[in-house]
Amino acid sequence: MPHIRLDKLIKRYGNVEVLHGIELEMADNEFTVLVGPSGCGKSTTLRMIAGLEDVSEGEIYIDDKPVKHLEPKDRDIAMVFQDYALYPHMNVARNMSFALRLQKRPKAEIDKKVRDVAATLGLSDYLDRKPGELSGGQRQRVAMGRALTRDAATFLFDEPLSNLDAKLRGQMRAELALMSQRVQKNMIYVTHDQIEAMTLADRIVVMHGGVIQQQGAPKELFERPINKFVAGFLGMPPMNFLDGQIVERDGDVFVVGDGFDLRLDGPKAAAARAHSSKDVTLGVRPSDLRYDADAPADGSLSLDVLVSEYVGAQSVLLCQCGPAKVMVELGSDTPVALGQTLTFAVNAGGIHLFDHKTEVAL
Amino acid sequence: MAYTERQNPAFYAVIALLVFMSVGPVILMFANSFKLDVDIISGTGGLLFLPTIQNYEKALCDVLWYEPNHVDFCSLKFGGAFINSLIIALISTVLTLVIGCMAAYALVRFRFMGRDTVSLSTLMVRMVPPAVLLVPVFGLWNNEFCLDRDGLIGGAIRDVFGGRGDVCLAGTHSGIILIYVAMNLPFVIWILQSFIVQVPRSLEEAARVDGAGPFQVFFKVVLPLIKPGLAAAAIFTFRIAWNEYLLASALSDRNTKTVPILIVNNMSEFNVEWGVIMATGMLLAIPPIIFTLLASRQIITGMTAGAVKG
Repeated sequence: MPHIRLDKLIKRYGNVEVLHGIELEMADNEFTVLVGPSGCGKSTTLRMIAGLEDVSEGEIYIDDKPVKHLEPKDRDIAMVFQDYALYPHMNVARNMSFALRLQKRPKAEIDKKVRDVAATLGLSDYLDRKPGELSGGQRQRVAMGRALTRDAATFLFDEPLSNLDAKLRGQMRAELALMSQRVQKNMIYVTHDQIEAMTLADRIVVMHGGVIQQQGAPKELFERPINKFVAGFLGMPPMNFLDGQIVERDGDVFVVGDGFDLRLDGPKAAAARAHSSKDVTLGVRPSDLRYDADAPADGSLSLDVLVSEYVGAQSVLLCQCGPAKVMVELGSDTPVALGQTLTFAVNAGGIHLFDHKTEVAL
Repeated sequence: MAYTERQNPAFYAVIALLVFMSVGPVILMFANSFKLDVDIISGTGGLLFLPTIQNYEKALCDVLWYEPNHVDFCSLKFGGAFINSLIIALISTVLTLVIGCMAAYALVRFRFMGRDTVSLSTLMVRMVPPAVLLVPVFGLWNNEFCLDRDGLIGGAIRDVFGGRGDVCLAGTHSGIILIYVAMNLPFVIWILQSFIVQVPRSLEEAARVDGAGPFQVFFKVVLPLIKPGLAAAAIFTFRIAWNEYLLASALSDRNTKTVPILIVNNMSEFNVEWGVIMATGMLLAIPPIIFTLLASRQIITGMTAGAVKG
C-alpha cells in the first residue's frame, strides 16, 4: 500500500494562512484520524490529499512521488464525503459502478464487483433504487460502497458519520472498524468527534488552529497529552482544569490551589520541581476521581455537589471546587445527595500539570 | 387568512376574469376559424353559424392531397413555411441550449477575470428590444455578412444554386437562426445559472475523485441534474423562436419565411381573409403545445433529492 507523506504543507486563502506547515507520515495500512474542532484545517488537509484543494506550499508524496500537481483521478484514492454526494440521477448500482464504468472495465467484472460490495454492505436489495428513495444510513452505506468498489489504494473519509443520528452513528462506526480490518488499506479519516477518533484510529492526529498539536496512538494521547488543548479535547466528559501553584514543603512537592492541596510523587514531583514557573494548571479527568470518604487530604479533592446527571450505569456529578466547576464520573450506585461536600480521591497517575502560560504539559 | 380569501366571492370573480382574458381570444379564434368571412365580419358575432372547414382547406392548400373546389389558386405555401418554422425554431433551440449550458456552467463554476461583469452584461443584452436591433441587423445581414461573389465559396454557391451574386446571411435559415440564438442566449444562460448553482459541489468533486475529467463531470453529472432547467429553457426558446415576427419578416425571403409571416400575408389592400388567418393561427399553435407537453415531462421537481443530506 502506498506510503503517504505530507511535507510542510501550507494552505492560504488570499492572505490568510489556514494551515501552517503540516508534517505527517502515515504507515502502511494505518487508520489515521485527523481530529480537531471546526476550522482547525483537518478537512482542508484531507481535501489537499485528495487533490480537491490546491497546495499553497509544501508537497504531498504518495510512494515518494510528488503528487501536488496531479488530478484527483491520478492519485488512486477513493473518498467518502460528509454529505454522501451520491449521483441522484443514477441508481445504487450505477452510483457504485461509476468509477469502473469511467475506466471502461468489462461489464461482467463491474457487475460482479458491485454485487460483491453490495452484499458485504447489505445493499443487495437496493441496487435498483435511486438515492432519493433510501434512508440516511443506507445512503451512507452506498457512499462507502462506491469508495469500496473502486479498489483504490487509499480511502479518505470526510466526516462521514456526522449526518447520522446517534444510534446509527454507533452502528456505522462499528461497521467502519470491521471494514477497515477487512480491506487493509490506508485510511485517512476526518472527524470532529473525539469518540470516533478514539474508537477507530490506529493513530490520532489532533489539529488546532492549522497546526498539528500531537499525534500518536489513542491510548498514548489520552494518557500523556502534551498540552492543555489535547488533554481537554480527548475524553468525555472533558478533563477538569484547576489553577494552582507548585509549593515545596518538608521536601515534598505540592500543587496548591483554591480548594485543593495535592501531594505530587515520583516523576511528576521531579518535573514540577524542575519547572521554572510556579503557576500551573492542574488537570484531572472525571474518571480519575473516585469517591472515598477516608482519602487523605493530600491525595483528594473536597467538592460541593451541584448537579447529578444520571446516564445509566454511570453518573456525572457537576461539583464546585473553589471558583471552578469540576466534573466527576462515578458509578450510579454511589449514594450522593445534592449540596453535600464529598471527598474524592485522585487516582495515581491521574494528575496532569500544564504550564499556566504556555499550556504545555510539564 | 388564506381561508377567508378563498371564501371571498371577489376572489372567484377575479379568477374568472383572468381565465376569460386568457382563454377568450383562443376560443374566439377557434370559433372564427370555422366561419366564413361573411359570418365573421357580419357583426352578429353569435355562436350560431354553420361550421365549415373551408378556411383550413385554403390554409393547407399546398399540402392537401386533393384540390378544394373553392380554391382557385393556391397562393399560401403553408407546408413550406411550416417546415421553415420547424427548422429555425428547433435548430436555434438546440444551439441556444448547447451554448447556454456551457456558458452558464463556466460562469458559475470557474473563476476568471470579469466573471461578474459578463454574468450581468449577458442579461443586459436581453433588455434591448428586438425592434431596436432590426435596422442594424437588417443592414449587416444584407450588406456585410456576405460571401463575395468573386470568392471561392460564394462563387461556387452561385454557380450551383444561381442567384444574384453575393451570398448573404439575410434570406437564409442561418441568418434567422443566428439572431434568435443571440436573442435567447442571455435568458437561457441566466436561467441555467440558477440551476447549476444548486448542483452540490461535492457531487462534482466525487466525480473527479471517481476519475472523471472536466467534460465527463459536465456531461455525466451536471447535465443530467439540470434537465428540468434545460427543459424550461427549451420551452421558452422554442416558443420565442416559433412566434417571432418582426425580425423574421425583415430577414426571411420567399423561401425561408416562417408561419407568422405567412399569416400576415393574408392581408392585402383588397381583402383581409380573417377566416384563413384564424385557421392558420390555430395550426400555428399546435407545435408549441406538443413541444411544451414533451419538454415539461422533463421538469420533475426534486431531481437532486437524495444527492446530499440537506
